[in-house]
Amino acid sequence: MSEQKQKPSGLSSRLKNTLDFLFPFLVIGILWEILVRTGVIQLHSLPAPSTLLVKFWELAFVNGILWKHLFSSLYRLFAGYLLAVFIGTAIGALLAQNQVAHDMFEPTLNLLMSVPTIAWIPIFLITLGLGDKTVIMAIFTSSFFAITYNTMRGIEMIDKSIVNAAHLMGLRGLHLFLEVLLPASMLSIINGLRLAIGYAWRALVGGELLAAMIEWGLGKMVYQARYFNDASVMLLGLLIIGFTGYLLDRVFLTILERNTVEKWGMAVKK
Amino acid sequence: MKRKTLLAILPIFIFLLGWEVSARLEWVNPVLFPAPSAIISELVDLFEKGLPAHSELINHTLATLKRLGIGFSVGVLAGIFMGVLMGLSNPVFHFFNPLILVLMSIPGIALAPLFIIWLGFGDPTIITLGALSTFFPVVYSTTTGVRSVDKQMVRAAQIMGATPLQVIMSVYIPWSAAFVFNGVKLGLVRGWMTVIAVEFVAASNYGLGYMIWYATERLKADVVYAGILVMILIYFILDKLLIENVEKKTIARWGMISQKQDG
Repeated sequence: MSEQKQKPSGLSSRLKNTLDFLFPFLVIGILWEILVRTGVIQLHSLPAPSTLLVKFWELAFVNGILWKHLFSSLYRLFAGYLLAVFIGTAIGALLAQNQVAHDMFEPTLNLLMSVPTIAWIPIFLITLGLGDKTVIMAIFTSSFFAITYNTMRGIEMIDKSIVNAAHLMGLRGLHLFLEVLLPASMLSIINGLRLAIGYAWRALVGGELLAAMIEWGLGKMVYQARYFNDASVMLLGLLIIGFTGYLLDRVFLTILERNTVEKWGMAVKK
Repeated sequence: MKRKTLLAILPIFIFLLGWEVSARLEWVNPVLFPAPSAIISELVDLFEKGLPAHSELINHTLATLKRLGIGFSVGVLAGIFMGVLMGLSNPVFHFFNPLILVLMSIPGIALAPLFIIWLGFGDPTIITLGALSTFFPVVYSTTTGVRSVDKQMVRAAQIMGATPLQVIMSVYIPWSAAFVFNGVKLGLVRGWMTVIAVEFVAASNYGLGYMIWYATERLKADVVYAGILVMILIYFILDKLLIENVEKKTIARWGMISQKQDG
């Protein structure tokens, strides 16, 4: 079917896709470089791409600061996000199973889900301090509601006869959850996970930027550069934030999707 | 129905009551967790401060709304324009799509330090970033919408003698309206969040975000909670009343999207 036509034929086509993706960045980079070199743009605060590359080399391979920033960010992201994934799916499943609990918490959940991430950060800064705890909590909160809500909706939309059949065959509790409910609601859960990683990424960067006691992290890297008026570090940091955020969604969730819902034939490959 | 409403209010009520009691009895630190009643009275205070002439709360809120209004409008217009271009032309799409996907992943507040260097503190930075945060979701959805237009319809319109502009106005735009709306909605959310967040770091003396941040740094928890309450309320008003009403009057009536089912 049409699925086969679009299937990437191995490594070479994947490489081609990556190059196609990077092409516009290259074009803009070269244009920008020419404009700066020929003096059309002359701004201290807009460094040429070559300056960025030199800076990148220095931060990545001479003193290695870049990796420390990147890994502290990823550590916080996954601490908060994974916590939200586990607690969120568990609570979502419980709410879907119990009608009274559902009626009690569904509206609250809906309400809290639309509270903007940025609203939580000042509250956590006041109550949890200016360090790691605040950032991780902000990541957790911003992803938790989306995951819980989508898990709940996903499980509630499962065909009741499937659940009944599983009941008849003697599946209960955790087994029922892991072997029937979870796979059957995977489409909706992945939807929640995708929303949540976007929220989490924003909460992470915003939190790192605003929490004063944090020393490492991509958000901090960009923010600290302000004190030295170092636009090249800022631009570099922003590019890394953009690419990492994009890749998180792209790589991590696509792999998950490919190994679950697409393999099971629940979703058509894009 | 009645039972459902009651059950829905119950957890919120218990939570607020528990909070009120524990703050009053000082089981939790009332400096960090002021009682809900204290937050409400702070809200009233903020509103009444300087009232005969200018209420402080209203001034802050209006400053933020003005910034959002300008940034949002620019972002939506630019986003729809760019989105239609990208939707209509494949080369334009392939060139700009990667740029937009990557730039979209940068939270607005992270751009603040750079734009402060470029444009300084205050309105220019805040409005620009508000516009940018609105722009990306709008471009993204508009592009998706325009690209999903059935080419048969376009050909039909062309055969009947429609000019290119007419094709865009009466085929592409109505067809992709549901997508555009989704983008605009998301753009409003992003824009509102970004304006407030950027006000945290880049506002000079007015704005809801400025008020919240100023209070955060001085540990005035009641002002922080009150400010956040206002922020969330306005967000709901913008989202539910404004956008959903417009949506109901346009695309839902045209039958472009099915009305949401309550379950």
